[in-house]
Amino acid sequence: MSFETKNIRENISLKGSTKIVVEFFEFALNSILFQRAIYPPEDFKMVKKYGLNVLVTIDDSLKSYLKKLLTQVEVWINAGKISKLILAIMNVENREILERWQFDIQIIDEENKENKGPGGGKKQRTDQEIKNEIQAIIRQITASVTFLPVLEDECTFNILAFTDKDAEVPAEWDDSDPLIIQNPEYVRLRSFSTKNHKVDAIVSYRLGFYDDPKR
Amino acid sequence: MKLTSPPSRAKSAKSVGGSPKTPIASQSDLFKIFKSCKKKSPKSIIKKEILKLDVIANDWICPATPSKGKKNKFQCDRFIPVRETMGEPSEQLRIPQRESGKEQYLNSNELEYQEKLAEACGVSLEKRILAFNLQPPSSQKDDLRQLYNQPMKLSTIQFKRRILTSPERVLDAPGLLDDYYLNLLDWSIKNMVAIGLDQCVYIWNADTGGVTSLERTNPSDYIASLSWSYNGDYLAVGTSDGDIQIWDVLKEQKIRSMLGHTARVGVITWNKHIISSGCKDGNIWHHDTRVAQHKVAELIDHTSEVYGLKWNSNGDQLASGGNDNRVNIWDARASTPRLTKNNHVAAVKALAWCPWQSHILASGGGSYDRHIHFWNVSSDARVKSIDTGSQVTSIIWSKDFKELLSTHGFPNHNMTIWSYPTLNKTADIPAHESRILHSTISPDNQVVATAASDENLKIWRVFQNARKNEKSKNSDKENTGSVFGGCTIR
Repeated sequence: MSFETKNIRENISLKGSTKIVVEFFEFALNSILFQRAIYPPEDFKMVKKYGLNVLVTIDDSLKSYLKKLLTQVEVWINAGKISKLILAIMNVENREILERWQFDIQIIDEENKENKGPGGGKKQRTDQEIKNEIQAIIRQITASVTFLPVLEDECTFNILAFTDKDAEVPAEWDDSDPLIIQNPEYVRLRSFSTKNHKVDAIVSYRLGFYDDPKR
Repeated sequence: MKLTSPPSRAKSAKSVGGSPKTPIASQSDLFKIFKSCKKKSPKSIIKKEILKLDVIANDWICPATPSKGKKNKFQCDRFIPVRETMGEPSEQLRIPQRESGKEQYLNSNELEYQEKLAEACGVSLEKRILAFNLQPPSSQKDDLRQLYNQPMKLSTIQFKRRILTSPERVLDAPGLLDDYYLNLLDWSIKNMVAIGLDQCVYIWNADTGGVTSLERTNPSDYIASLSWSYNGDYLAVGTSDGDIQIWDVLKEQKIRSMLGHTARVGVITWNKHIISSGCKDGNIWHHDTRVAQHKVAELIDHTSEVYGLKWNSNGDQLASGGNDNRVNIWDARASTPRLTKNNHVAAVKALAWCPWQSHILASGGGSYDRHIHFWNVSSDARVKSIDTGSQVTSIIWSKDFKELLSTHGFPNHNMTIWSYPTLNKTADIPAHESRILHSTISPDNQVVATAASDENLKIWRVFQNARKNEKSKNSDKENTGSVFGGCTIR
């Protein structure tokens, strides 16, 4: 009996945690698409979220695209089958990868935490704490415009998901190469964690012809 | 100095690594020096001190110092807290190019490199990498911005011409039969407008305003159709009892009568010396006006009354429409239709060939259909369609403006001008109080006449072309179509 209730409670908190993570992805992807000017700024509207003004697309086709994408991601997170979500920005013409926004999703193992002892096990995180952490990442995405190279050509993007081998894969998803950037530069962004998940963010980008003027 | 140095140093180190021009000898020397330095390097307590020194030395000695040794000591910077885990695949890639034992080096490091790369990029061999294969929506909305950035004046002034929405002249046409299935109005190349009012044909001279009528002898039938010959000398008249008469207009007398149809002739049209006639029984006949045996061809396909007939400008294709909702295209010498289109869901009377694209035909359907379809006759395809919202009774193309005018019946009784091929509505004129039955265009392509069941014949100057008028004034004052004298028929 008690086992069951515990199970249910866990299930609920997992669902809640997944919801937070997916919601974060939605806003993060929207912010990246806006900040990196993949879509024209007039396609976005401002929305209050995480105590910030976040820009969200109003373009119906993009909305439905993201929705389709994130519903599947949600399924994978719930099943614990996904480890990374990557947004790769590429040149439309030559398909060269210019930027790669990587979000690592780790499942926080309750038992492991207990093994670590009282020092390792964290207390239940409040919503406010999570919100602040997410806010910091969104802020960093916004701020990243300052150091990322200007995307001069027209760009599009692609979404990659790193899943377990046994994950269920709908028809919209294909096996792919990791779309790694040649000669990349990395910047690690902050991370946030909910009760069940920890999400890290890294942006890697192509150096371009950065070092030429120096010589 | 210390604060700002790490990012810039990282860059310089990179640039050094990537320089192919640096001579190998000097570099390997430096390597040795560097290695020896490294061995002597003091312990961690004074690491910071060394760090500072390193920075300076780096700036001082030579920008060609490889950054490899440094990396071990200096593992984090402002941007990357843990550089080790990130790996620097680019650097490793380049090293073999500098070394003489090229392949060996690469092989020994390849696995490690792969692992590091995998780690850095999050690739695990146990995992699957999946790409969302739906294409993200295109971001090409810049075109739109360009559109808005264009100066507004240009687009509006150039493309929006003023169209007079009031008739230039209204003539009384009493006794005009309110029958959609007749063709009772035609404008000749000699600027004469012929209209059939019940049993009589009246000819209105648009130059002088004079009205004449054709003296018909047997008033038992009524006029069902009329059409001017191409030179404007003769008028062909189809009657309700199946007769086709040819009248010499100047002499005001009937030249010949071509009998044969058993029912009323709802439409006739000329193609040089050939008259094509559409009959109530669904047959289309070609009559050669020069020979005694006038009937030269019989086109049988329509199952119901034919009242739309138009030859294209070359005279090699005939379009027909009828009460069986069908549009047929006939080659001039063929007796079976080349194309049959059944897209209309109501009777087809309005037919018109595009004057500048000879393979485009516009056809308009009746009150249940309300559509104008555009056909590419050579490719057999429907090019475009408009839902006009009311019964289409006739279509006229304007060559000068690349537009077409459609007249309508129930429910709007209006007259609409569309641009082609964009199919934007250029003007919408509430023309008559009841359905517009017939329309025709003047020989100078500027004026349109419409006749409606409210017994009015209205003249509209909707395609006024100022430039053309000036030219014609200068060259030839007689050729007008712009001067109207008299006022009423009858």
